[in-house]
Amino acid sequence: MFALGTFYFFSIFLIFTSLSVIFSKNPVNSVLFLVLSFLNTTFLFILIGAEFVGIILAIVYIGAVAILFLFVVMMLDIELIDIVSNIKKYIPLASMFGIVIISEIIYLTVVKVSKGDLVFQVSNTNNTESIGNVLYTKFFIDFQLSGIALLLAMIGAIVLTHIYKPSIKRQNIYDQNSVIGSERVSLKNVKKGEGIDT
Amino acid sequence: MPLTIVEILLGVLKIFSFMMPVLISVALLVYMERKVLGAIQLRRGPNVVGPFGILQSFADVLKLLTKENLLPTNSNKFLFIFAPMLTLLLALIAWAVIPVSSTYVIANINIGILYLFAVSSFGVYGVIIAGWASNSQYPFLGALRSAAQMISYEVSIGFVIITVLICVGSLNLIDIVESQKNVWFALPLFPMFVVFIISALAETNRLPFDLPEDEATLVAGFFTEYSSISFGLFFLGEYANMILMSSLTVILFLGGWYPPIDIFPLNAIPGLIWFCFKVFLILFVFLWVRATFPRYRYDQLMRLGWKIFLPLTLIWVVLTSSFLFYFDMLPK
Repeated sequence: MFALGTFYFFSIFLIFTSLSVIFSKNPVNSVLFLVLSFLNTTFLFILIGAEFVGIILAIVYIGAVAILFLFVVMMLDIELIDIVSNIKKYIPLASMFGIVIISEIIYLTVVKVSKGDLVFQVSNTNNTESIGNVLYTKFFIDFQLSGIALLLAMIGAIVLTHIYKPSIKRQNIYDQNSVIGSERVSLKNVKKGEGIDT
Repeated sequence: MPLTIVEILLGVLKIFSFMMPVLISVALLVYMERKVLGAIQLRRGPNVVGPFGILQSFADVLKLLTKENLLPTNSNKFLFIFAPMLTLLLALIAWAVIPVSSTYVIANINIGILYLFAVSSFGVYGVIIAGWASNSQYPFLGALRSAAQMISYEVSIGFVIITVLICVGSLNLIDIVESQKNVWFALPLFPMFVVFIISALAETNRLPFDLPEDEATLVAGFFTEYSSISFGLFFLGEYANMILMSSLTVILFLGGWYPPIDIFPLNAIPGLIWFCFKVFLILFVFLWVRATFPRYRYDQLMRLGWKIFLPLTLIWVVLTSSFLFYFDMLPK
């Protein structure tokens, strides 16, 4: 009863925050609502006993990804009116994604469950151990493939943003520390009435 | 399993038994900081309020409480007030999983270390929200610096924690401490211990990494616009975070409540005292570092995080796991 109540509380709050992400006029508020919806998802995961997945979701999405979003959104000077007026342009694309995601959910919840593929099996290991047991054995290829996809995205981002200019001054601490006195200062005997040719 | 009233009351009492000592030790830590800095700089430090000036922090808190709470114009009022509350909240909820002795802990959960890592990584929200909601340049710059800094050092903290977890084979904090009964991880994993302490300094925005609140360039950084009790909450949160990171260091590397050697006069002292004593030592290191080192420049800070700590910790993860695998010492 208590668990059911908390489930409905968090899921209703999750729906509310997800809608607020879309309907907030200020992009910073949108990102903060996004953080709240990640937090609610974490609570839902913990509620079904998947505490490892929930906390990892919190660490990765709230602790890193959403902060970078916030970072970027705060620095961009976005005109609020532009976002509101452009919303109609994205409806076809958005509804396409929506249909794909909803059909995936229906496939998982209706078709797979009726076949008995997704029946919840009670095991006596905790879920960190269960994930650890299959991650590098049963799902080795899938895991490595997603790793490569992330690596490619990272290299892509670096290639797009990295500018190499020889004129940029960089500090080389090894060079600085390996300087000896005679390279920088030298004693000269200056004759009276004459300067030094440098 | 319905909870009875008695159980709920006991739970609340247990929470208070953690919260009150933490808040009081924050006040004493501020006093200790000023005394230690005074001693290192050949001054006397606070010595007027109470015996040896020990009530100085309480007097400061009373002063802050009686001041007016100012709200900057065009600031986001809700977020402006929410940010310091969030900072203190995050610094306090982390104590829910800290085991101060082998039996005394509020919640002994399977994934305690991940929970702590998650809560400490949320800490950046208080800073970045405060900087943005103030609607002022200096706080905003401070917030952006701090966001970049805290994310950078979290990466190396993550790898250090992974190294320890490989040696333990459990995410439970009590298991982590109990696996150090014979030898503390600070000895076999000494480089990781040093990296962790330096990253903890950066994570809590302490000197020499206190760029988010760099007086010389940013006035007071992200809390420039804060006054009165909202400033006080930031202050409390920051020092509570220092104590939290110190106890995390003690749990991961200094064997929690275990004495250094299991012989008679040492093992007669209760575990709680050992725990507090070790936390005190790490806190002293925090203050000692503050009095000794000048502030880093921003690019040096980023270089240290990404080009030195990240490769070093990554190599140590690989080395430790290969060593344990080769000698068949991996925890079952």
